[in-house]
Amino acid sequence: MPYAAGAEGQPDVSGRIRVRRHRTHQDGDRRAGYLMLLPSAVVVAGVTVFPILYSVWMSFHDVHLTVNGYDMRFTGLANYGTLVHSSAFWHSAWFTTYYAVVTVFAELILGMLIALAIYRVQRLKNLSLVVMLIPWSLITVVSAQMWSYIYNGVYGVLNAILQALHLIQAPVTWPGTSTGAVLSMMVADIWKTTPFVVIILLGGLQMIPAEYHEAAVMDGAGPWTVFWKVTFPLLRSSIALAAVFRILQAFGVFDLPFVLTGGGPGNATTSLAVLGEQALFQNLHFGVGAAVAVSTVLMVLTLSLIFLSAFRALVEEGA
Amino acid sequence: MKPVLALVSSAAAAGMLLAGCGSAQTTANTPGNSTNANPAGSIDLSHASGTVVWAAPPITHTGLRKALIDAFEKSHPNIHVELQDQNSDTDTNRASLTTTIGGGSATPDVYLADVIWPAQFANAQLALPLDDKLPKDFWDRFSDGLVEGATYQGHIYAAPFFADTAFLFYRKDLLEKANLPVPTSWEQVEQEAKTLQQKGLVKYGFVWQGASYEGLTCDFTEFLADAGGRVLDDSGKPVLDSDAAKKALSFLRDLVQSGVSPKSEVTFKENDTMDAFNQGDAAFLRNWTYAWNNSQTPGQSKVVGKVGVVALPTFGGSEGYSCVGGWDLMVNPHTKNLAAALAFVDWMTGPDAQSILAKRFGEIPTNKQVAQDPSLAQLSPVFSVIPKVKFVPRPAQTPNYPQVSQAIYTNVNQALTGSVSVDDALKKAQQQVQSAVSGSGL
Amino acid sequence: MVESRWRTGLGYAVLVLFLVLILLPFYWMVVTSFKPTGEVAAYPPTAWPVHWTLEHYRNAFLRYGFGVYLRNSVIVTCLTTLFVVMLSSMAGFAIARLPVRGKTPVLIFLLIISMFPAIAIVTPLYMFMRALGWLNSYQALIVPYTAFNLPFAIWIMRNYFLQVPGVLLEAAKMDGASVWQTFLRIFLPLTTPGIFTTAVFTFVAAWTEFFMALVFNASKTMRTIPVGIGLFSDQYNVPYGDIFAGSVLSILPIVVLVAAFRKWIVSGLTAGAVKG
Repeated sequence: MPYAAGAEGQPDVSGRIRVRRHRTHQDGDRRAGYLMLLPSAVVVAGVTVFPILYSVWMSFHDVHLTVNGYDMRFTGLANYGTLVHSSAFWHSAWFTTYYAVVTVFAELILGMLIALAIYRVQRLKNLSLVVMLIPWSLITVVSAQMWSYIYNGVYGVLNAILQALHLIQAPVTWPGTSTGAVLSMMVADIWKTTPFVVIILLGGLQMIPAEYHEAAVMDGAGPWTVFWKVTFPLLRSSIALAAVFRILQAFGVFDLPFVLTGGGPGNATTSLAVLGEQALFQNLHFGVGAAVAVSTVLMVLTLSLIFLSAFRALVEEGA
Repeated sequence: MKPVLALVSSAAAAGMLLAGCGSAQTTANTPGNSTNANPAGSIDLSHASGTVVWAAPPITHTGLRKALIDAFEKSHPNIHVELQDQNSDTDTNRASLTTTIGGGSATPDVYLADVIWPAQFANAQLALPLDDKLPKDFWDRFSDGLVEGATYQGHIYAAPFFADTAFLFYRKDLLEKANLPVPTSWEQVEQEAKTLQQKGLVKYGFVWQGASYEGLTCDFTEFLADAGGRVLDDSGKPVLDSDAAKKALSFLRDLVQSGVSPKSEVTFKENDTMDAFNQGDAAFLRNWTYAWNNSQTPGQSKVVGKVGVVALPTFGGSEGYSCVGGWDLMVNPHTKNLAAALAFVDWMTGPDAQSILAKRFGEIPTNKQVAQDPSLAQLSPVFSVIPKVKFVPRPAQTPNYPQVSQAIYTNVNQALTGSVSVDDALKKAQQQVQSAVSGSGL
Repeated sequence: MVESRWRTGLGYAVLVLFLVLILLPFYWMVVTSFKPTGEVAAYPPTAWPVHWTLEHYRNAFLRYGFGVYLRNSVIVTCLTTLFVVMLSSMAGFAIARLPVRGKTPVLIFLLIISMFPAIAIVTPLYMFMRALGWLNSYQALIVPYTAFNLPFAIWIMRNYFLQVPGVLLEAAKMDGASVWQTFLRIFLPLTTPGIFTTAVFTFVAAWTEFFMALVFNASKTMRTIPVGIGLFSDQYNVPYGDIFAGSVLSILPIVVLVAAFRKWIVSGLTAGAVKG
């Protein structure tokens, strides 16, 4: 899935290199390449393939737990049929997509802004990096508890600040309404994961040879033009990387609703992962739970592909 | 004095009424046939030795588990008990137990199980049937009704460890100041709470558990029973579209919408309501047994010595229903040391352990003999209230109870926020409970 | 240049604003961890503890045994990070710069693996670990953490290797260097920002992982910090003071690590960067 036609000398996503090679080296290089891939292949395949296939397998079965292990009866697409006919599933799918799109979009914009600022200022880089690491390395469950403490309708500091500023009259329970709960979650998520985007983008920025900028400035390009014509196209693989992996993580959002809102009010913030957890671990409906997981993967994949092709159009337009 | 856990006779009655779906169960799963069937309880416990791993979440951090283990090891020098600390979040706790035991692990040998788990765990064969492992008279030690709650399709899967139930805690200093009597009906609670708020004596009138979680199912089940309703009828069909259900939910919703209960009510779990009460911000509190000791601990509570406790009231007067809570002991079917595991279960439900539980830690014992000890009443006022409590169990006789409960608490919670009407919420709950009971749906 | 200075000033303003916004919630957590229990739930809250106390930190270590969790987390996380960095830089280099076949399928395969929700994998993985006899061991976490963080790490490293001009490979070959020498001596040093990004990402992911740690390592001597802090609450209490003390402690090693490797990290991040 190539998302951007490589500029001259720039490889596309499949890593094809547009530099001519001497045939004679090819075989030795290829052998070295496989050798370098081998350890990762062994570890990844050895650990992840079995559980994933098992889970996909389960999604086509009616699974019952017994003392001798899982008792499976093949039911074809019945579990998926259950999902399709469940309003709870569609609600979760819609909520999760909406949540992922909004937070990832916000994080990319904020992340780009902060990365450019750090790159520009340089002097605060050290401090900035340490500060960035704080929210990101905070244990997710704890970070959710922290926000729950901040948002608390009885003694939360957010209400205290807003009341002191006379922005609100009486304390508000932020996660107490559907909109409030969704927003509360989004703020907590953006706070925690924007640093991830910053670090990826900053890394990309550092790899751009300074001459490119200098050349553009020599040509009399303004900062806006330099950004769109030079920085942005050269950052595209970093942006795509950050975006795709954030979409993926946002789609799996679990701890935040689990701790902060319990999926409520009602089922307003029941994400697909929360729904899957309920099916798998609370209701012990393993087949349906596995089907939720597989459906989630299909949705993330679709969303990522939509993003990448939209992004490709954007880059081509800008360049 | 009637037995402290006379509770349980009424619980049994209520249980028969409300948990009727147990008989409507159709799972063709014969439990207990896989392990060494051993009729007549002939397992010899006197020579048990070795190690028992006991998985238990911290009920409280008061050292309850350690005190019991120490006493057990003293009386059984050949058995060593290893505590496996479990997460106190019930769902996380259950997830780790179902994964490990379902995955075939031999440990933990014994685990603490919520009273709403037996049907589900029995159905998934995550618990060993105990009725043919322990002598018949073993079960006589428990207060009436408790063993029924641990029974699924004719087999007993759990030994009741301690019971829990809810009370109405009130600020006696505020009632005195305003010259108000202790309320005896929900309407009166609402009235008095309003008065205290209007006089500026307290911020919130009445706090209870309204968040979207299991606790709300408990609270709602109580109000529902008070209004004369129930979740499932005798044939196991959901009856949540009844007038009683409407009355109960309308009352709760009005509490939130009128400001007697705070808007935050829809996010309140036990700890939030406890904090509000301990900070002196609430006049009335619906909470479990632990709330007594918690509110009387200097340093964390500002209302030490200002609190009274009564049985939960009902609509129109007198005592209302209280949800049956508590914890059981279950045995892992894969255990490699059944004799020691059973010896541990035997001792933990015996008079020594149960006395420690009640007298040192204020929990309600399940052992009849200990529960009837008149000296308990002097230890904590909650013990003297218990004989007046009427009990209502949650409809946990179906293995799909978690889903039934989700259907109840998500819809009730939504109605409390005011975004959905009482009728619509109940209609939806009714549908979802129906599909949960029939074992389909998500 | 006046304009340049103005822009740097704007950069400062944006940066400082964001740093403050990021730090505020954290400030609140730190301050709360020093308040006595009664003050934790006071309203209006106190911006600064009225009575300082170390009781929550004492609780973390003495009551909950935080020291053991810390040790386990450090061991598991450091080894995972080491393995992931080593394996992903090799694999990333091979995919980016060597003529191996089937690159696109491999990359998509890796992406799908990272997409699979963890909750659906834990149960079969548990049975797998039990069959291996690995439960309650360091490898029970290190191996799956390495496996599940590798896909993303390979993607990162591949991206960075792509940005190093490919002609360097040819040039090194001309000088008679082997592929491995070229990789170790030329490409790896030029992608230090990538290594740093990969290391930080992996470190954080392993440091904060909860579910596998909960299920695979249940014994009290093998627990990691996220699982350990989860045990601070009891059934009806969320002891915010203790939890926040624990999480402040859990962040300290990371701050110390960044401070200790400051030089390396800064040189890594400034490699290739020139003031604009």
